[in-house]
Formats: sequence, C-alpha cells, structure tokens
Amino acid sequence: MSLEQRITEARARLEPLVESIEQPAPDRIDATIPADKLLDVASALIKDGWSYLTTITGLDLGVEAGEMAFLYHFSAGALLVTLRVHVPRSEPIIPSVCGIIPTATLYERELMEMFGVTITGTPNTERLFLPEDWPAGVYPLRKDFDPSQPEIVVQKDAAE
Amino acid sequence: MAETQNNNLLEEIIDGITSWSRINSPWVIHFNSGSCNGCDIEILATLTPRYDVERFGIKLEGSPRHADVLVCTGPVTRQQRERLQRIYEQMPEPRFVVAVGTCAISGGVFHDSYAVCNGIDSVIPVDVYVPGCPPRPEAIIDGIVKLLTSLKQAKEEQVA
Amino acid sequence: MNNGNGNKIANKFVVPIGPQHPALKEPEHFEFTVDGETVIDATARLGYAHRGIEKTAESRTFVQTLYMMERVCGICSHVHATAFSLCVEKLAEVEAPPRAQAIRVLVAELERIHSHLLWLGVGAHEAGFDALFMYSWRDREVVMDILEALTGNRVNYSANVLGGVKCDVTDAIRDQILTGIDYLEERTHHYYDVVTTDAAFLQRTRGVGTMTKEQAMRLGVVGPTARGSGVEQDLRVDAPYAAYDIFRVNRVVEQGGDLEARFIVRVKELFESYRIIREVLDNLPEGELTARMPRRIKEGEAITRVEAPRGELFYYVRSNGTDMPDRVKVRTPTIPNMASVLHLAIGHQLADVPMILAGIDPCFSCNDRSVRLKSAGGDDVWTWEKLRKYGIDYYND
Repeated sequence: MSLEQRITEARARLEPLVESIEQPAPDRIDATIPADKLLDVASALIKDGWSYLTTITGLDLGVEAGEMAFLYHFSAGALLVTLRVHVPRSEPIIPSVCGIIPTATLYERELMEMFGVTITGTPNTERLFLPEDWPAGVYPLRKDFDPSQPEIVVQKDAAE
Repeated sequence: MAETQNNNLLEEIIDGITSWSRINSPWVIHFNSGSCNGCDIEILATLTPRYDVERFGIKLEGSPRHADVLVCTGPVTRQQRERLQRIYEQMPEPRFVVAVGTCAISGGVFHDSYAVCNGIDSVIPVDVYVPGCPPRPEAIIDGIVKLLTSLKQAKEEQVA
Repeated sequence: MNNGNGNKIANKFVVPIGPQHPALKEPEHFEFTVDGETVIDATARLGYAHRGIEKTAESRTFVQTLYMMERVCGICSHVHATAFSLCVEKLAEVEAPPRAQAIRVLVAELERIHSHLLWLGVGAHEAGFDALFMYSWRDREVVMDILEALTGNRVNYSANVLGGVKCDVTDAIRDQILTGIDYLEERTHHYYDVVTTDAAFLQRTRGVGTMTKEQAMRLGVVGPTARGSGVEQDLRVDAPYAAYDIFRVNRVVEQGGDLEARFIVRVKELFESYRIIREVLDNLPEGELTARMPRRIKEGEAITRVEAPRGELFYYVRSNGTDMPDRVKVRTPTIPNMASVLHLAIGHQLADVPMILAGIDPCFSCNDRSVRLKSAGGDDVWTWEKLRKYGIDYYND
C-alpha cells in the first residue's frame, strides 16, 4: 500500500466514528475523540491487522489548561494514525485497551505511574519504571512535579 | 591502522604489570547500576580476544563474596542504589571499587535527574575513576592495572 | 590458551552479571509463574535503568537533549540521535543536506553491523556456545575501528548534530570501510553456516519460541523478531527517512517464526548492510554537512520512526517556541518485543525462556536481571545465570 492508499483507508475506517480528522504532516493523521469512543475506534484501526499500536504518549497540558491528553499512535506502514483523548486534569480517567490489545499493558503501566491517570480495566497496576519505594501520588511527568520535595529527593551523596 | 596503535598501547600496559607476580590474580565482579550499556560492552570487550584481559590473571567472578574488585558502571538509579550497597557489603575486605565511565563518576548527562544519584561514590567509596563515555577497553584495563599497582605497593609496604 | 589473536577458545566464560542475594526484598525484573516445567504466567519490571530521561529533557536545551538521547542506549546510540535530530529538524522546517543524510545512513548501517554481531555473540553465549561469542566479538572489532576512524569514538559516536552531521568520509576512511566490509562479509558466510547447519546450535533454536505471522502482528512485535515470523515490516523500506529513499533497502524476511529464523534474519541483514554501505560510498553526494538551525524551535509536534537494529524506534517531540523541548517521548523497540515475549513465554518450558528472551535482542544490561519463579512449591529467586545454565543443562541431558 502506498502512503496515499494508507491515508484513504485510514479515513474510511475513521470517518464513520469520529467528528474530525486532521493531517498535521504528510505521513500523519490525527483524530480527537472522547474517552468513551476509544475502544471502538481503536478496534476499527487494528481490524484485519491493518495497523498496530506503536505506543501511547501522555501529555500534561498544564495546570492552567487543566487538561491531559493521551495520544494513541497506530502504525500502518508509512502512515501514523494518532487518536487523541483529552481528559480533565482533576480527574483523569481513560479505559484500558488491553482487552483488544493485550500487550498495551506495559504502555498503560507507564502512563499510570508517570501521569497519575486511572486506566479502568487495566490488568496490571504495578509500577513499571519507578521504584517500589516511590511515594504514592507523585507523578514525574506532570508539569507541576517538584523534584525538590523531600520524599523523593534521592540521596546524592554517600552517608557519613 | 588503528589495530597496530592499539597493540602498542596494550604492550605498554602489559610492561607495567609484569612485575606484580606476587599479587594473587584479582577476582573482579561487575555491576551495572543503570547505565546505557556503553561502558558494559567495552568492559565485556576486554574479555574478548583483542584485549584478552584474562591473560593478566584478572578473573571475572559471579559472587561478591569471592571478589576483590567491584567494577561499576552507571549513574546509580534509585532502584539500584540499595542493591549496590548490599553487593559492596557482601565483599570481604580488602575490597576495591572501580567506577567506569562518566556516569559512574558524576551521573554524567543524567546528573540532575530525579531518578539517579550522582555516580557510584554517592553510594560507596571508590578507589579508581575511569573517565570516558565510554572509556575504551585499554583505558578500563589501565584503570584496573593502576589499582593493582597501588595494591602491590601497599602489600610491599606491609611486608617491609 | 594462546595469545589474543582470535585463535583462543575459551573453556569457561562468565558474562559479567551481578549476583542476586535471595534474601534481598526488591522487585525482580522478570517474574515467571511455573507449573512444573511449564510457564503459566509472565511479567516484568524495568526500573533498574530508569534514569528519568524524558523528564530531564524538559529542562535541557534541544542541543543538550541530543547528547542525552544518544545515551539512552549505548548499543544503538546513533539511531536515537538520528530520530531526535529528524524530529527537531521537522519542527524547525529545516532539511539536513544530502551528504549529511547519506552519512547518517552510513553510520546507521555500521551501527547495525556492530549491534547484530554483538547480539550474535551474546545469543551464542546464552546457548552455551562461547567460541562463537569470542569469534563474533573479535570480528566486531573491525567495525569498532571503522566507527572510531569515521566519528572519533567506538561507542556513542555523536555523528549527528541538529541539522546534519559532524563527521566526513575521507578517501582513507572510505578505503578502511571497504576493506573491513570485505573481511566481515567473508566471516559472515561462516556465521550463516553455523546458524543454519550446526546441529547443537539448531537444537537450541529450531522450533523454539515460535510465533506465527498472525501472532507477531497481533502482538505488535517489531524488527528482526517480527521479520523472522514473516512480517514484511522494515521502516527503512516502509517509511524511508534520512537517505533511505535513495539508498534502497531490501527487507530480510524469514517464514520459520522460531528462534532459528530470527538468527537467520539478523545474519542476512548483515549482508544487506554491507551492500548498502558499498552503495552509499559509491554514490556519496557532494556538499555541505550541516544546515543552519535556529536556537529557538517553532511550536509544534513532530514524530519520527526509525529502524533501529532491534526494530521500530519511536520519537515524539513537542516544542513550545523556546530553546527547550516541552515533551520528548521515546519508545524503544525492546518494549513491544518484551511485551510480546512475556505473552509468548506462557505455555513454554522454563528451559526455553533464556533463548526466547535472547531472541528479541534485549539490551545487554538485561543480563543483570534477576528472575522470580513462582510455583506450587513456593517463590524462588534465581539469577539470570542460573536460568541460563538451567536451559543449557536441560538440553545437554
């Protein structure tokens, strides 16, 4: 499939399900969707193995914006289709895609520990990268993460 | 060609250590405290035919309980900090530590990250620092040789 | 044992790994639940090398971040730097000149060669074939010398700058590369023979860790691991970047789906890399090595996917108009491969686990991992070395 064919196919799969589709780059298609549509649209993209979930990028849009965004990137040859889900920062909740993409568990574990998002139905809520003794409620990739707070300051010098 | 130059370098180093026959061959264990593997592959390279560090009697050991020298890479991630401490504690005295690579010396490019300490000596005492990103195998061997040379001198002073 | 001229065969060899004290209470890297010999569940924790890179990038300039991203992984440093540079260049709407893009391809293929030879050796060691480890790492030194001559360093070559490259190919370097490639190509024929005909080697690889094409696609496996299961996927072909649109790559795909197939893919990819390198050197475009890059980068988002030696490497960079990135997201190929392999381990014999994991070519420092085994008899913590020896002994009995 050429890139043009990929784009046509992507639009065909997305148009019945989403409000608007953007093309921010020659090889990228973006669609912003509400969280409750995520599973339906993701299923449409992976049907028949046309694309696979490459990764999920979490974005903290900031305390002022009051929103977080989760970008689900699907690779289809030369084309990258990204589903963008926005959630309120005060209560970030998204559904797990592990039901249809079991290997997404590693990505979802990373999002939970880094952003503090709740992912309903995810099979494994253990930390992936952060150590066991990392304090609860502290999310490094949030914009208001304060590395100087005492509970997480790592001892940088050998004890006397 | 580079290979000839490297051979000359090695010859110089060998000359420097042919005199320490009175020291038992040091048993070395290796620990990766969260490095990018750059240093580790150069350490591993010292075991391969071109550098062949085993001909100097340096033996790579599996357990800290039998080791004389701990060769460490990485900036020490939070997760590895305690483990590094315990490995050091398990080594019988006299024990020595070689910090290999810029990360092991100062944390390197990661030094102000929330996730790392500032290198090996922020956790345990270090005897030899081998700078480089990564240091080449000759430099690593040279660092261990410098340690052994000073060990030899210390032993001679003891006996005298 | 003779001198270090490659004639020596190691009788006994220990890959440098740290021991695991069973009494230490800490998260294990891998956790396998077994019923007798069979794995019934598998998961992993990856905190040992977590350095907080993505967060740290937010308080570095783009230039500083480039140096940091080179060090995400010392084995495939160049592809990381290339992917990051391409993202920033997209954001700044700057194109690196053709000679620079060609040199990026040249270094990338040299890196692929070093990485595949490294893996061949480590994979052989995992299976108990230490002679093959020694031979492949000795041969690998040829590539290390070339990379050092071309870029100034054996590892972490730092060939990229934002906007291009900072090393050039002189006639002397060109000759060194061609001579080295000729030698390696001859040696690679020998490696191909070993991985396809050596009976002891095949016993550890044929029919082991098999993944069908359908499974591989569903699990989202990438790189040689996917291509060994017949998945026709290689970003250099599917979505050419740098100069891969000019220096075309042939996908190397095998249908076997097992560990043997993955070995074959990587060895055949070596031949393909030698060919690409010769083509690049024959047709190196004249011109500049860099394009001017602004210090402040326009607001926006850019995504670049490149074919690292282990598979698809994903970079997302978001800028906010300043000289520091707003967000850098990196997804290395080992993550989806590890996820799929954990899924795949279920139903396999424990003795096959070391080779299955080695087959995805995980980061070398994974050798320092420990393994928790849960069974009806209770919990046990093994060192990786113990698991590896278990696998070797299992097949030797």
